[in-house]
Amino acid sequence: MKSTTPWWRLRPLLAVLAVMTLLISACAGSGGTQKTEATGTGDVPKDVSGTVRILLENVPDSDIVKAMVPEFTKDHPNVKVDIEMLTYDQMRDKLVSSFQSSTPNYDLIVVDNPWMVDFAKAKFLQPMDARIDSTPGYDATDFFPSLTEITTVDGVRYGVPFYNYALGYLYNTDDLAQAKLEVPKTLDELVSTSKALTVGDRAGIAMQPQRGYKIFEEWGNWLFAAGGSIYDESGKPSLDTPEAKRALAAYIDTYKTAAPPNSLNWAFDEAFRSVSGDQAASMISYNWNLPALNKPGSGPSAGKFKLAEIPGGKQVLGSWSWSIPTNSGASDAAWALASWLTSKTQDIQRTEQGGAAIRKSTLNDPAVRNGKFGADYYATIEKILANASPLSQGPSGEEMIQAVGTELNEAVAGTKSVDDALAAAQAAAVKIQG
Amino acid sequence: MSFRYRMVAPLIALFLGVVGFPLAYALYLSITDYKLTSSGTPRLVGIDNYVSTFQDGAFWRASGATATFVFVAVSLELILGLAIALALQKQRWARDLTRSMLLAPMFITPIAVGLIFRFLLNDQIGAIPHLLRAIGVDYDFFGPGRALFTLALIDVWQWTPFMVLLLLAGLESIPREPLEAARVDGARGWYVLRRVTLPLLAPVLVVAILLRCLDAMKVFEYVFATTRGGPGTQTQTLQYFVYQTGIQFFRLGSASSMAFVVLLVVLTVIVVAFRRVEKAKQP
Repeated sequence: MKSTTPWWRLRPLLAVLAVMTLLISACAGSGGTQKTEATGTGDVPKDVSGTVRILLENVPDSDIVKAMVPEFTKDHPNVKVDIEMLTYDQMRDKLVSSFQSSTPNYDLIVVDNPWMVDFAKAKFLQPMDARIDSTPGYDATDFFPSLTEITTVDGVRYGVPFYNYALGYLYNTDDLAQAKLEVPKTLDELVSTSKALTVGDRAGIAMQPQRGYKIFEEWGNWLFAAGGSIYDESGKPSLDTPEAKRALAAYIDTYKTAAPPNSLNWAFDEAFRSVSGDQAASMISYNWNLPALNKPGSGPSAGKFKLAEIPGGKQVLGSWSWSIPTNSGASDAAWALASWLTSKTQDIQRTEQGGAAIRKSTLNDPAVRNGKFGADYYATIEKILANASPLSQGPSGEEMIQAVGTELNEAVAGTKSVDDALAAAQAAAVKIQG
Repeated sequence: MSFRYRMVAPLIALFLGVVGFPLAYALYLSITDYKLTSSGTPRLVGIDNYVSTFQDGAFWRASGATATFVFVAVSLELILGLAIALALQKQRWARDLTRSMLLAPMFITPIAVGLIFRFLLNDQIGAIPHLLRAIGVDYDFFGPGRALFTLALIDVWQWTPFMVLLLLAGLESIPREPLEAARVDGARGWYVLRRVTLPLLAPVLVVAILLRCLDAMKVFEYVFATTRGGPGTQTQTLQYFVYQTGIQFFRLGSASSMAFVVLLVVLTVIVVAFRRVEKAKQP
């Protein structure tokens, strides 16, 4: 005989289910932002106290910052600085978890440019206008405008520049002299120079056509060199223009004839090794790679590399900025550190040690100009930062960059025509960013 | 509550906490518009995310790439694993040393394996293209139409030892009598393998294939370390696609619905596979 269970016997189970439902619906977005007891001013006294927990990317610029911290804590004895360094891909996840938590892990963070709009619109970051404007002697107008534009969302500044990763043309001077060529000034010259520098197994240019961010970051420079732009004057994506088609056709032609063979999945690491290992004569990469390429012992051609602007004079700009999370537990101490690190005096010190410049005055400082990396290098960086634009300027920047980068990679792989790939890239960018 | 329910109550509580809660939470997220960059309580959107998932061509392309990867990788692992296990079973000396050496790839974390192969297969600095060129072969490991198979071969390198381990244990547990009887009756090696060894090994084979298929379906690290889903979307596997949607693009609601569709498909495959095994057991 089949027995039936009376409903009241199921009460414990129903109770458990009810509790779980409440718990689950309470979990999503439960932490969120909280108000901090910060002054909001930039005039922070030296006896400010607190522990500033910072998340940084595992890159040389972060090492420089880490080395500078003891000098800051000498001036601010009540501030303890606790730095965590992670790889790029781990950072975003940790940051977002911390923003959502009622017990955040970080009081001061660095924000990559594609994240800035999303983080600011989600109210994860504190507006910093009041702090910047009220910090004595800070002179925010001295930052390169291309960098401060990235930190500004809907007219409000949510950060201050940390370092730039604007791209430039890095080349082996001996190779160019041997080929009796000048630094390329136009897109056509970039193609022909890359081809001319290709000798036997040695590539003319090490490219980075890996799907996603890398190819878009590199090709963006080719687009600018062709006279195109990522966004039109009204701010809408403009990726299927005649200039974009010319740039992509030239990029593919160069990849097939002057880049190392079978390098479709190459990213920064491979291209850098190729150039520093003397297996390629040039590459388009971050401006601050020059000191690393010329570092004695770094490769057979160390000391022979130079940096130039991207042909056409405009380049892709990347930038990290210091921001204070809305739920930071030590906002005043965090600003004391961020403003100290980005002050004129400390920026000179950071740049002298190989850090990437953020201030105009730093690049004109005699100590920097006459430093170990040479006046030429800094003069070129000054020109680069004066005419550089980021890949994305709206919300969902990361998604837009990945979508466009996928289509560009399809075209280079030959699985889509140039026209089809750019039409799809345009459609994806419009769909994602509106 | 009766005694028998009280006895299983701790197990049920543990199950609800460890498995039930994360699953229920993911299910809840899958019916909301939750983004990692949104604060406050997310809006319920019903089955919208599921409809979008089913209509998303990229999701199905990722499913196709994953299925191809699993089929190629697990088939090769099965064939190679069986061959090695049969050879090891007959080995007479240095057995422990051989077996421990063979198992080594399994103990390396997959992301490290991906990075190792990224540079081993690099055309300029990699040892493998260098050796191939020495014999006149030029092969683009990460080129269009090839990258997915390269990833499958990386999986084969790392996980064939696992197949060997399981199959070797299965082979050593097979009773000797049927094998000896077949040989006394004049059956030769291939016939014995096909008609006696493999049928007796069938339960182990099913479990081994199932375990490897489930594990291979989760492929993420090799893609992340080498191709990032390219060329185009040819190596964009399900896990990488869901990771991009949920973590990189912050759309956790959509990613949860995708994960649930995958879970449903996997559960169906497992149930069908086990039912078939059960049916095959019946006389």
